[in-house]
Amino acid sequence: MFLAIKEIKREKLRYGLIVLMIFLISYLIFILSSLSIGLASENTQALESWDAQAVVLNKNANVSMNQSVLTKSDLKNATIGKNEALVGQTAVVVKNKKRPQISAQFIGLKKNQFIYHAQEIIAGRKAKTKQEVVADQTFKIKGYKLGDKLALNGSKKKYMIVGFAKNAKINIAPIVYGSLNSWKTLRQGMPDMQASAIISRNSNYKYHHADSKTYPIKTFINKLPGYTAQNMTFELMIGFLFVISLIIIAVFMYILTMQKMHNFAVMRAQGIPSGTLVNATVSQAVILVVVGVVIGLAAMLLTAKALPAAVPMSFTPAIMLSGAGGMLLTGIIGSLIPIRSILKVDPAKAIGE
Amino acid sequence: MAVIELKNVQKIYGKGAAEVKALKNINFTANKGEVVLIMGPSGAGKSTFLTIAGSLQKPTSGEVLINGQNIAHLTTKQSNHLRLNQIGFVLQAYNLVPFLTVKEQFELVDRVKKQGNIDQATLTKLLKQLGITALVNKYPGELSGGQQQRVAIARALYANPEILLADEPTASLDSKNVDEVGQLFKNLAKNYDKAVLLVTHDPRLEQYADHIYEMMDGEMTQTK
Repeated sequence: MFLAIKEIKREKLRYGLIVLMIFLISYLIFILSSLSIGLASENTQALESWDAQAVVLNKNANVSMNQSVLTKSDLKNATIGKNEALVGQTAVVVKNKKRPQISAQFIGLKKNQFIYHAQEIIAGRKAKTKQEVVADQTFKIKGYKLGDKLALNGSKKKYMIVGFAKNAKINIAPIVYGSLNSWKTLRQGMPDMQASAIISRNSNYKYHHADSKTYPIKTFINKLPGYTAQNMTFELMIGFLFVISLIIIAVFMYILTMQKMHNFAVMRAQGIPSGTLVNATVSQAVILVVVGVVIGLAAMLLTAKALPAAVPMSFTPAIMLSGAGGMLLTGIIGSLIPIRSILKVDPAKAIGE
Repeated sequence: MAVIELKNVQKIYGKGAAEVKALKNINFTANKGEVVLIMGPSGAGKSTFLTIAGSLQKPTSGEVLINGQNIAHLTTKQSNHLRLNQIGFVLQAYNLVPFLTVKEQFELVDRVKKQGNIDQATLTKLLKQLGITALVNKYPGELSGGQQQRVAIARALYANPEILLADEPTASLDSKNVDEVGQLFKNLAKNYDKAVLLVTHDPRLEQYADHIYEMMDGEMTQTK
């Protein structure tokens, strides 16, 4: 550690540039991870707040709640207990003369079922009549107020906002919670349709019927439009960044080690144990990575504060720990690459033999 | 007893047609309190002699004895330990760690060798004797060639070795400084009871030597 610190202090510009590279990479990793988790969360926020474990859909709906319709005959043998709820989903365009137009998902609920009770109201109250709705907090951020009357998909019938809820997004779109009867009106489908899906909090829930199929929540989430592709893209980018950081650290440490071979030879000639030199190299990498990552974290915190709430970033301790841990690990692996050269340095080189 | 002794030492590089005999049956002895000069032109085998006497590499055959112990077959770790404790090197150039101040060069020795180094009072006296007391907070890059050489001597002596090996110690010095360094080595040998081996082709150092060996084509002859 002594040699590592002394060298960094003496060669501030050289090591400052390496820290800068590590900072930029870690900052990018933190930003991408936060965006990835933030976007993933906006896809599944509502499902998580409902604690959904299984979803029953029309088997021809391609695992899409929006495409699914369950009729009276589809549901005739279904058991709807305290852990199940009928849900109707349809895409709507929300309009109000004084407010910006918003694309949303209408979720129709029954008042006596668990999802209605699971709504996380942050202002106002839950909807009690067919004409009342609860909107996601996105509407509040965009200027909507309690009491605003909404036209859904250009309907003449108006729906009044009586509450705002948090964690009410599905597939990135904000949710408008209303009644199942309102959903039937908006959906304008078959006369005997009852819901889009049965949502269950019980992971063992199964409903077998000719036209219906039960899916585990994981399957349902992975089939959300764009969800898997988006997550894989982020995972690949983050993975590549880790590999790039490993290569950068390894290359820098290797070049620095090669440049210092004469110094190492001199120290070996003087009897300095090779363990001391290896320790100096590894601890130097650890110091550089820790400083780079700490600056990256600080920059990330500042960025998170500066960004508008509309940017879907979720900056959690898990991201901090996994990002910092990953960088530290790649730094240590990178610094181990020139170790063989250090161990093999010939002390006779110190006197030109 | 001789502090360092080489008996029938040979060093051969390469094989077959590429074989080069760098040292041929070298017999050499040095005692504490003596300055011994190993002289000869470039390519005569002086540096090879120094690396073998200093346990930086092993001879092809023969014995290298330090205080009677044959060091020809020591492991890398044992060789390191020997150099750290019994042999001090003063190398031609760049032989100081460039990112450590003069004071920190000694601190590095303290960190790897906890006991047996010279005490603070002796170090102060040595620094004064070498005229480098005012340079302790400077980096090697901020020192002249002569100052670096003196610091390297102090650093080599700090671990309190019995043998001091110097490779071309006057290579970058003018005549006045050569005399100073020659006198300094003589004083170190006498006052600190060290065996000082100077590998050089500088005849100006001859007047300070107790013994002189000439090297030519890998062979060694004592001339004084």
